[in-house]
Amino acid sequence: MPTGYFSLILHAHLPFVRHPEYPEFLEEDWLFEAITEVYLPLIFIFQNLYEAGAVPRMAINVSPPLCEMLSDELLQTRYTRHLENLLELAEKEVRRTASESMEFQDVANMYAENLRASLGLWNDRYKRNLVGAFRELQDEGVLEIITCGATHGFLPLISTPEARRAQIEVAVANYRKHFGRQPRGIWLPECAYEPGVEELLKSAGIEYFIADTHAILYGDPRPRYGVHAPVICPNGTAVFARDVETSEQVWSSVIGYPGSDVYREFYRDIGWDLPIDYLRPHLHADGNRRHLGLKYHRITGRDVPQHGKAPYVPALAREKAAENASHFIGERIKQAHVLRETFDGRPPLVVSPYDAELFGHWWYEGPQFIDYFFRKLHFDQSDIAAVTPGDFLDSGLPIQRQQPIASSWGEAGFYKVWLNEKNSWMYPYQHDAERRMSELVARFGDTETRRHADTENVGDTIPVSRRILNQLARELLLAESSDWAFQIYQGTTVEYSSRRFQSHIHRFDLLTKMLESGEVDEELLSEIERRDNIFSEIDYSVYASKE
Amino acid sequence: MSRLRKLEVNKTEDEFIEFVLDDDSVSSAEPIRADVEPAVPAFIGTLEPSATLDEMPPVFRELALPKLPQLAHTARARLLMQTPNRLFFYWSLGSNPFQRLNRALGAHTASYTLVLRLLDLKRDSEEIHPVEAEGSWWFHVDADGEYRAEIGFYAPNLPFVRAVYSNTVQTPRKNPSTRVATEADWNVTSDEFARVLEVAGFSEDAFDVAIAGDDAESAETTTRDAFSDLVDEDVDTDGISPEDLRHAMLLLAAGHALESLRWKISPALYELMQKYAERLSTERAAAILRERYDIESEEITEEEELGATVYGLSSINFPRRLRTRRKSPKLRPISSPTGSGRN
Repeated sequence: MPTGYFSLILHAHLPFVRHPEYPEFLEEDWLFEAITEVYLPLIFIFQNLYEAGAVPRMAINVSPPLCEMLSDELLQTRYTRHLENLLELAEKEVRRTASESMEFQDVANMYAENLRASLGLWNDRYKRNLVGAFRELQDEGVLEIITCGATHGFLPLISTPEARRAQIEVAVANYRKHFGRQPRGIWLPECAYEPGVEELLKSAGIEYFIADTHAILYGDPRPRYGVHAPVICPNGTAVFARDVETSEQVWSSVIGYPGSDVYREFYRDIGWDLPIDYLRPHLHADGNRRHLGLKYHRITGRDVPQHGKAPYVPALAREKAAENASHFIGERIKQAHVLRETFDGRPPLVVSPYDAELFGHWWYEGPQFIDYFFRKLHFDQSDIAAVTPGDFLDSGLPIQRQQPIASSWGEAGFYKVWLNEKNSWMYPYQHDAERRMSELVARFGDTETRRHADTENVGDTIPVSRRILNQLARELLLAESSDWAFQIYQGTTVEYSSRRFQSHIHRFDLLTKMLESGEVDEELLSEIERRDNIFSEIDYSVYASKE
Repeated sequence: MSRLRKLEVNKTEDEFIEFVLDDDSVSSAEPIRADVEPAVPAFIGTLEPSATLDEMPPVFRELALPKLPQLAHTARARLLMQTPNRLFFYWSLGSNPFQRLNRALGAHTASYTLVLRLLDLKRDSEEIHPVEAEGSWWFHVDADGEYRAEIGFYAPNLPFVRAVYSNTVQTPRKNPSTRVATEADWNVTSDEFARVLEVAGFSEDAFDVAIAGDDAESAETTTRDAFSDLVDEDVDTDGISPEDLRHAMLLLAAGHALESLRWKISPALYELMQKYAERLSTERAAAILRERYDIESEEITEEEELGATVYGLSSINFPRRLRTRRKSPKLRPISSPTGSGRN
């Protein structure tokens, strides 16, 4: 038996952003940047680790909106264009730096090589199907893929039992579509929990969820092993909570690894540094400067201004990633010994959840860190064993029964980030739509007709009321995405986030009027369906009241 | 449209009158049967990024300017938790509430005011504010409580007339439970649990659990006595948790000014301490801690907030910390046989 267990959990999520009404759209770049910097490198590393015998046993949530975007043909085509354009720029940069800026030649070469490799992986190895690549890793026994809320809705701020249930059940149905099996675990959106949520999870067949530290530490009764063992809610659903020490080591901007002087500086980008005429062929049609992802400087020092940053040296950064991985393992071994002694010999479990996008996007060397971490964990030590939450449940170690408390992993530990003076205006509209959705299903839904159509009339016309109800469900789910309230609070992309929320509520209202009046604007309905095409499998009856 | 159906008078508990709304706005309707083509919509096209509204097809124009709809004039009241100490409430009465009141009470209407009432169901108290028929409100409340908000009509010495009421919200604890599992496998002493908290990074809670010890009743008595010592008066602190009282005394001893405690302790405790503001000082709090808990002031240095600053766009919660030079296992529980109560 090892001294302790370690469970890395990554949360891969982006809000559903897809704008077929425009030939290109700035916010779609969020997905494209994450594919290049995070998802492609991680999948590639996981596959290589598996082939090297160092299986990176860990859990990852690939959220339903992310699965839907990664599987969307329009976005796949646009990403290919994005990647080809970026590679073209990188190759142009290799030539430019050779003659003008030799100090950046190494890093320019690095980008060109990486992007060539990415294009090969994207087109040839994974055939543009990253969800399929994740699925294969799960089927090979490498990863445990968990689900999330259907659109990352913040469950405690959703007003009706039906709307909460829909976030879970639509997510589970979507997981089955993409991964061909039932999910064992769920990443509660924003780790937001309140007592009662576990009942929804159990009904959907989910065995465990991820919560924040104080959900368990302040739970009732006192947890014998603190946050270093899961607990089981009174209804039998298991809870795994975040370890603070590992969070700080990787994530804190004060003491975290990503702040090393030799790592890549995120905010210095050639999209802002080079002449606009030179960049123009690689910008969007509006010609506005933006981050292009080619960054030539290292952090250099916490207080060094942007103009004083030194050139990035890939070899130095790689070396530091290996050093940080060794340090991280050393600290885990020390932590496991201390915890085991505190726990009278019981092996502790350290649960380390992070946003996946930290690794590669914000912390460029993050994927290398994960690569070194699992190699060293496998080849260089035997104190720590990497497990998934599902593995831990299967181990048969006894688990304490406890009622966790309401909590989230956001600033201050509760719901402030998603409910405050900047975004509280959203909730009366969201809650009104939630109430109306169940009323509309009760008035216009026809379960028998729907079932009949599904089983016997495939290919025939679909009753328009069913199309409208399904689209109402999509609009409501999209309005509920916690991303909008989060970004409004953070002050990032406030205009876009407000507009997205308003759009989904507006579309919900237009569709409701069609349903209630019986006057269907087919062109408008089709256009809304075309734009918000998430969850082709959706079944509005999930909103039917069970009371 | 909602209409008033009847007026019910409930005199069993807190005397109040209630409007029961009969919502007849929902009527049954035939499902739309007009079958249309097909689930796969026809491709309509893309816009030039520079397209003006006039250049857009009507459907694109409709979707280009999203508007929030006018919310239906129906009764609504929703209470939401933001933090254990803060709640958000929004409400609407739909139609003119005074017309309804007038129909129900006639001549008595004039003495009534429309108010918002927050009920603290656990501590059996309430706060009342005059409001409009529609609006929102933020409340400062206590952790580990149970609340419901109501909109209704208030008049001195007359029954409260409730028009709408919200869901009930339970605010969570902000510190560890005092309850220990009864099963032998999960039973944990205060000293052991303090170590569990310490290794989890929750050093301030560890400190508090250690000094409280295993006898919750005795710990509570000692804490309330210590607080009375602090304000130099036998003061009623029922309804304020002992953890909150100890936290306040530790912060004061660590050098915090009373004003800075405002968002760190419960509103009730803050209000109480304000009454005794002139008697509070770092030295006095330190002396109480020394006398009651054998804690020297130099052992408590400062509260360290690591903060939520992380890489990327997230803002992740990290626990609050009170730096102490002394490790919690060495702390003598106040409920130990040598602990003293207030005489």
